[in-house]
Amino acid sequence: MLKLQVLGGASQQLSCLHTSISLDAKHWERNNRKVYPPQLPEEPRRPAEVYHSRRQIKYSKDKMWYLAKMIRGMSIDEAIAQLEFNDKKGAKIMREVLLEAQEMAVKNHNVEYKSNLYVAESFSGKGQYLKRIRYHGRGMFGIMDKVYCHYFVKLVEGVPPKPEKRTGFDQAKEYVQGLKNRTIIHSL
Amino acid sequence: MATSITRTFGSLRIVAHRSLKNAELALDVRHPGPLFLPVRTKKRYFIPPAVSLKGKKEENLEAKARAAGIVFRQQYLERSINISCSAGVFDPYIPPEGDARLSTLSKEGLKQRTEQIRQSAASQLAIRKIKEYDSQFSTKTFAEQAQEIFVEAHNSLTHFNKEKLHSLVTERCYPEMTRGNRYKTIRWRFVESLEPPRVVHVRCPDMVTKGNLYGQVTVRMHSKQTLAIYDRFGRLMLGSEEQPKDVLEYLVIERHLVNPYSRWRLHGKIVPSWAPPKDPIIKTVAIPGPDLKPGEEFDALNYEVPKPEAVQWNK
Repeated sequence: MLKLQVLGGASQQLSCLHTSISLDAKHWERNNRKVYPPQLPEEPRRPAEVYHSRRQIKYSKDKMWYLAKMIRGMSIDEAIAQLEFNDKKGAKIMREVLLEAQEMAVKNHNVEYKSNLYVAESFSGKGQYLKRIRYHGRGMFGIMDKVYCHYFVKLVEGVPPKPEKRTGFDQAKEYVQGLKNRTIIHSL
Repeated sequence: MATSITRTFGSLRIVAHRSLKNAELALDVRHPGPLFLPVRTKKRYFIPPAVSLKGKKEENLEAKARAAGIVFRQQYLERSINISCSAGVFDPYIPPEGDARLSTLSKEGLKQRTEQIRQSAASQLAIRKIKEYDSQFSTKTFAEQAQEIFVEAHNSLTHFNKEKLHSLVTERCYPEMTRGNRYKTIRWRFVESLEPPRVVHVRCPDMVTKGNLYGQVTVRMHSKQTLAIYDRFGRLMLGSEEQPKDVLEYLVIERHLVNPYSRWRLHGKIVPSWAPPKDPIIKTVAIPGPDLKPGEEFDALNYEVPKPEAVQWNK
């Protein structure tokens, strides 16, 4: 596996070989193993990225999505605070995941300040369902799914980016500009 | 599909309505059916096996898996031991204080210079034992050899050449060198050697049985090196690439003498108690505070950060 990180020019053809250390590491966690080459002193400092996930949470993926959408773009302290006072069941689990990810970032990924992180990506996915029988009247039955979901989060070091605000005035300006740009093609 | 099921269940309908109540439906509990059931038709529907099982019988599962052809690998509850290297540094060399601080021309320096291997008879005995197994061993050439091994080992560490590193470094030293370095980039350079390396201490401990000899030789090295460690994202964590540092090191080189195919490999380093403190890393670290009882307050102004005590330790 260490061949992936060899820096010498002679062994660059080995760095594209797919080698896996452990067979149970899924795709999202494997992002944590990516190593970048050392930066030159004039380049801007690359922000640290930490990927974390939790699998097979006993909760619905659609219900989890609402919480994931809520914390997208928030700084980590704000996200943890909001989830602490949210009444949903998924909020407690999500908060644990965020705290784990923060600790991992400080310990393993050389992040200096634990509050200097923000949630760059956060989404939920479908886990493996268990099937059961749901009994109906008249001998009818339905197959009941016991739902499980996965939750994925990516924390990036730095200040959370501000979303661009477009006011009505900006939109009106753009509309008028579009009208002004109209011209007659193939004219004399 | 639905009609066939109703026909199958037709005779059971009355029975089903009577026995199954709302609470039992939700709790997924099934009571055994009554005795006056008619002959059943062919089963056309599917129930997952987990539902019909009442209680879990552990021994049946294992037998069923074996019958199905699933083979479980035998679990060996053993702990492997390594016999090609010893577990630590035996009778470590205690470097005299102020080793590299005094100049060689002063009186103290001359005294230290004259304290060569002749100082300890045990080292002489050990050298004689080593010469029994390895006739070409000599303290004068060995010091240069040790330095070469050291430089080669660190070069293969920077290039992550696992196979070469294993041949140059013992199994005890390898995890210490590579722990935590998997996702980091290390840039190390040996600039020059300030003093010729010297063999200062030799010991020949035997492990377990009396004849099983391992030779451990301590070599003193004073050199200039540059070290820069970059983390996963290419940012500098430690050291700098341009600024070389003077390093005084006591390396322990080991060889399993009884094995004719063994090689001299780096086994560890001795860090003396008077060693200067290392450079701090380029980031702020939070030190865990004292354990407070409920009701106590944390006095940040008068709190002193506890410093580790100065003891000699082997790396």
